[in-house]
Amino acid sequence: MILPPVGLLHYLILSVCLFCFGLLAVITRRHAIGILLGIELMLNSANINLVAFSHFLSPPHPVLDGQVFALMVIALAACEAAVGLAIILRFYRQTTVTDVADAKLLKW
Amino acid sequence: MTWADWFDQLAFFVVAGITIVAAAGVVFVPRIIHACLCLLVALIGIAGLYGLMAAHLLLAIQLLVYAGGIAVLILFAIMLLHRRSDGGILGGTRNLIIGLPATVIVWFVVAAAVIFSKWHYLPGGGTVSPQADSNVRIIGELLLSRHLLAFELVSVVMLMALVGAIIIAREDRSTDSGQQVAGQQTGESGGNAQ
Repeated sequence: MILPPVGLLHYLILSVCLFCFGLLAVITRRHAIGILLGIELMLNSANINLVAFSHFLSPPHPVLDGQVFALMVIALAACEAAVGLAIILRFYRQTTVTDVADAKLLKW
Repeated sequence: MTWADWFDQLAFFVVAGITIVAAAGVVFVPRIIHACLCLLVALIGIAGLYGLMAAHLLLAIQLLVYAGGIAVLILFAIMLLHRRSDGGILGGTRNLIIGLPATVIVWFVVAAAVIFSKWHYLPGGGTVSPQADSNVRIIGELLLSRHLLAFELVSVVMLMALVGAIIIAREDRSTDSGQQVAGQQTGESGGNAQ
């Protein structure tokens, strides 16, 4: 069996799959941390896209702007995880639930 | 096909398979701590993909920051919460009925867009250049020259997130502590915010 060589399309399709798994986790998970896990997965799939474009669509001498932006995304994902976990812990301490379906404090 | 091509394909499909299976585990595993461990495996697999694309600095940073930092942070947060039955996604059948078709539609739309697009390949793209080991120097120069503003803004955002996480997660000493049922964990959660 002759397969085409690994190229841009392989990485993009893989990234779509990871993004959809992250989206499914965000939609269907009931635990608040499960939603956070889904968001991390989606950010990582975006990072794969950035690095793949930077690798496959650039001239032979390295143009690494995609990798620089992947670095920025990683830094912002770390911030997001820290603040999100702080909010979840605070919410749990006040209400002792972690199910997002029970988060009705702001509903009238 | 040469042996190098075979090895490229084998490496890609093995690493991609591990990553996809682990990502599926993040969604479908019932216990949340197991989902977090699945995410850890997926993050390490993505680091392997970076390595296949000759992004060695990103491989190291992915392992250090994501696998060593964020995943462990989430694990600690899960351990601070009480273990109670989550039911995973099986408890939320209504969400699954809505979410699964929506996700499948998104997958087909984006995958079709990816496949039918005409990508503007430049000659020489996709090859590992001989000076790939100097990527670190080039990325450092880019960070401090062309992307200096973004670099500084990210540092400001990180500082604000750090301060904000500490303020959000710490115990409110002014309020009546009798109302707080699980307020004894403040020391751990304060350290966790960093």
